[in-house]
Amino acid sequence: MKPAFIEKDYEQSEEQLRLLQTITMEVSAASDLTSTLEIVLREVCEKTGWVLGQAWVPNPDTGVLDLVAGWYCGDGELKPFRALSEESHFKSGLGLPGRVWKSEQPAWIEDVTNASNFPRSPAARTAGLKTGVGIPILSHGKVIAVLEFFMRESREQSERLLKVITAVAGQLDLLKRATRAEAEAREQQFLTLANSISQLAWMADGEGSIFWYNVRWYDYTGTTLEEMQGWGWQKVHHPDEVARVVERIKVAFATGQPWEDTFPLRSKTGEYRWFLSRALPITDEEGRVVRWFGTNTDITEQRELEKALRASRDELEQRITDHTAELSRINEILRSILKNMGDAVIVADKDNNFLVFNPAAERMFGKGAMQMPSTEWSHRYGLYLPDKVTPFPHDQLPMTRSTRGEKVDNIEMFVRHEKAPHGLWTEITGRPLRGSNGDVLGGVIVCRDITELKEEEFFRTGQSRVLEMIAADAPLADVLTNLVLLMEGQAEGLRCSILLLNRDGKHVRHGAAPNLPAAYVKAVDGAPIGPRNGSCGTAMFTRRPVVVTDVMTDPLWTDYRELAKICGLCACWSTPILSAQGDVLGSFAMYREENRGPLPEETRLTQIATHIAGIAIERQRQQEILREREARINLAAESADLAFWILYPEQNTAWMSEKGRLIYGFDSNLPLTCDLLLSRVHPDERADVKSAYDRACALSGTFESEHRLRLPYGKTRWVIMRGRCLKDEEGNLLETIGVTLDVSAQKQADLQLQHQREEMAHRNRVSLMGEMTASFAHELNQPLTAIANNASAARRFLERGNIDPALLRQLLQDMVADSQRAGEVIRGIRSLVRKEASAHTLLDLNAVITDTVRLVSSDVLTRESVVTTELDPQLPRVSATLVQIQQVLLNLIINALDAMESLPPVERRIMISTRSDKDDVAEVSVRDFGTGLPKDQPDKVFDHFFSTKQKGMGMGLTIVRSIIEAHGGTIVAENAPDRGARMTVRLPAVRGQTQTIAAA
Amino acid sequence: MANPSEMEGKEVCVVDDDLSVLKSIHYLLASEGFKVRAFNKAEDFLTHASAHHVPVVVTDIWMDQVTGLEVLARLCAISPKTRVIVITAREDLAARATAMAIGPVAFFMKPFDDEKFIAAVRDALSKSEK
Repeated sequence: MKPAFIEKDYEQSEEQLRLLQTITMEVSAASDLTSTLEIVLREVCEKTGWVLGQAWVPNPDTGVLDLVAGWYCGDGELKPFRALSEESHFKSGLGLPGRVWKSEQPAWIEDVTNASNFPRSPAARTAGLKTGVGIPILSHGKVIAVLEFFMRESREQSERLLKVITAVAGQLDLLKRATRAEAEAREQQFLTLANSISQLAWMADGEGSIFWYNVRWYDYTGTTLEEMQGWGWQKVHHPDEVARVVERIKVAFATGQPWEDTFPLRSKTGEYRWFLSRALPITDEEGRVVRWFGTNTDITEQRELEKALRASRDELEQRITDHTAELSRINEILRSILKNMGDAVIVADKDNNFLVFNPAAERMFGKGAMQMPSTEWSHRYGLYLPDKVTPFPHDQLPMTRSTRGEKVDNIEMFVRHEKAPHGLWTEITGRPLRGSNGDVLGGVIVCRDITELKEEEFFRTGQSRVLEMIAADAPLADVLTNLVLLMEGQAEGLRCSILLLNRDGKHVRHGAAPNLPAAYVKAVDGAPIGPRNGSCGTAMFTRRPVVVTDVMTDPLWTDYRELAKICGLCACWSTPILSAQGDVLGSFAMYREENRGPLPEETRLTQIATHIAGIAIERQRQQEILREREARINLAAESADLAFWILYPEQNTAWMSEKGRLIYGFDSNLPLTCDLLLSRVHPDERADVKSAYDRACALSGTFESEHRLRLPYGKTRWVIMRGRCLKDEEGNLLETIGVTLDVSAQKQADLQLQHQREEMAHRNRVSLMGEMTASFAHELNQPLTAIANNASAARRFLERGNIDPALLRQLLQDMVADSQRAGEVIRGIRSLVRKEASAHTLLDLNAVITDTVRLVSSDVLTRESVVTTELDPQLPRVSATLVQIQQVLLNLIINALDAMESLPPVERRIMISTRSDKDDVAEVSVRDFGTGLPKDQPDKVFDHFFSTKQKGMGMGLTIVRSIIEAHGGTIVAENAPDRGARMTVRLPAVRGQTQTIAAA
Repeated sequence: MANPSEMEGKEVCVVDDDLSVLKSIHYLLASEGFKVRAFNKAEDFLTHASAHHVPVVVTDIWMDQVTGLEVLARLCAISPKTRVIVITAREDLAARATAMAIGPVAFFMKPFDDEKFIAAVRDALSKSEK
């Protein structure tokens, strides 16, 4: 393969030479100018590639150029241009012929359709002509004709072509002369031309004997004509090639056919260069070969270029081959991967054509279909959402989304179709396929079969559900039935049962067997366990798994064989269910209708089933125990009149025993809340109860409260409520658990006793009045005396008639004041004998003692006794009822006076003292110097009806003690060190309250 | 009725620890024209009696600080001629007997009849030595 430009180049040069030779010979044979021009036009056109040639000759008559000859390539399209030319006559300077005529120079127009001075442009356009050239033919300095040639290609001006045509045109001038000398000159001209070309050239005679070489030949080979002429040229040929060359050229010379060959020629420097050699025969009028004209064109560089090109092309080809092989290998690997991989791989273009649909995809979805609208995919391939029933929406399909350009990750899909009737689960990842410009071309999805994972997940979920049922205390039968169904769902043709061991430890009870025949279940229920009692009875007895592969032959099944036969049971494997402590709770059995032992998977299921069943049965046993315990507690509570209750403050719910509901007046089926419970507390005490409860909750402690309940229909009950708050590890309040005791009856008795005490205290006070008549008489007589005297005085002044009004007013004022004083005395006596108890106030005991001593002073004097006081000014105050404290003091003083009646008056002394050891106790002691208390039992004085006195009722000190104790204090009776008795009263002080306020 | 001129220059002492009673006796005696010297405390009266001639004294017995009987005993020693009228708010037969034994000219239970009381004072005053 030769590059076209190289060929063209040297071929053209060769043509030019041949053209010159032909024209020279033709012209010498031509008769006139016109026919000569016709020959020239034809030869030039044919040999140098023009499609149209025309010759113009000046008309001496009109002074314009006329068309005299033309040659046209056999193409009908050129006819209009020809016709136009035939009609045209060009003045000097007009059009292409006129310009050449005028300038006497060749003219080259690259594009005649677009040239300014070319009137035939439209016709040229129609004819499809582009390049035009005009050549003047000169004879003796005068234009005798103008030749014009056209071609269809647009071509730049070629100097060489112009030179050739000009040279040809020059031949016509020789023709005009037609002399021998001219002919010789013409030969010389040819030789000059032949020597001027770049090729080596030669001429041979008809027999092939070379008689001429051009100068280039000699320059190259460094030889002479003598050496070369005839067949001497073989000397410069390469020895390896010369024989072939000679043989071939001899054939050409013999046949007269044009010759062409390629061979190396040695240069004068001894280097071989490659030449393309051609020779054309030149014949005479009879057709005999008279001469050969040959050329040798140096193609070494072309050959090397060609060689280099070939090498590079070969390399390229090799590379392409290698690359193709690599691609093919990769392709093969990919195919193998796609074929063998477990994941389904599907690639689709945007038109829903599946480009890849690997075997795994076919296994998963069936055959991939082409040209199917994506809206039909879900139906065609059985694609569903994870709910297993809703067809997957086509616009949400991973492939649809991928081809939309979205990334899709881990989409779960359920697939069910004819070939996968049980369905399978797949997890799909999808990606868009993009071209190098980023456009989405399609999508690829990878689908992983996750059926096993999902089934495992469902199995686990099933286990969780059963465990939840256990936690929610669902009936045991339901739990076990669910468990059995779950296990049966894990393997084809599997039937299971759970039997329970009776509490007697000797018989079985039915547990769950939803898919075993009822007759079989009934027969087994209540059967004994033992060393040969079927699979289950034996398993429970031996505490070991029992595998019976054929119940028809196994000795363990002797007693149950007929039953098994009827029920179609073949193999039965049973495993004991054990509690956490290792006690047998029951058994889990698997039945199969073929004779074999358990597979590893079935053994695993058995382990899970026995574990869960164990939890369920044990839980139920515990619940039973709890229920029995609760029943016992309720029984105990009812007999103890105790209400048990639990409050759950977070949920605002509460539980209460039956007895509790009775105490609180709740119907037995009323749902209880904490608030409802609180609402039963008497409104006056509700806030206190609530705050005690809240305090206990905050401190996580206990609380106790005695309060009233207000029941429906206005009934009131006294209760004592005790509770304990329980918290979890984080300190959140879980519940409050406690009891309520109905103390209404006891409270009633207490109130009655209280009433009796008050009555006695009152009587005591009344009787005290009797003991204090002297004091009361004196207290009253004093103001009455003053009033009487003042009244008498006033009367006397009036009778005398000399009364001073100021004096009279003074007397009257004094009377009013003394009347009030008498009233005070009466009021004091009344308060002492008043029945109802007055309220507690803050009292300064020192002041109370002083007043009381003053009150009894008359009686003390009457009894010729003396009362002295030693009062601690720092004595703290106490919270007490004034009258009751006075009552205590009066009782003690009068008792002391009584105790000293037998003493001589000078010894009759009573000493009352107060002191405060500590801040929190106020102590009052009353000491006499009498006969003292019984030595062995000084405390006996506080007993009812104990008296050492003739007139006493024996109630005084009993009442004193009850008053002191009601005030939270104590009283101690003892004998003083030397003689007499000492009564010491201690009352709780009001903290920080020393005596600052006088007693009321 | 005694002649008022008889009473001239003679004053009646009254002793009572109860101020209301003391004041009322003072007014009562004053309404009949007696000169009265009142004592709230027995000690004060005894001091007075030891330095002055006291023809008549009206005194309470069973006073807080010093018993009336004690006052009577000490007065006998200081001024044996003073005529004593005893008044008391307390009805006590034993005390009365004791008082009478010591020798008062009259004994009155509070509250007392004003006519008899004034008659007793006047009588005692008139019988007192000049």
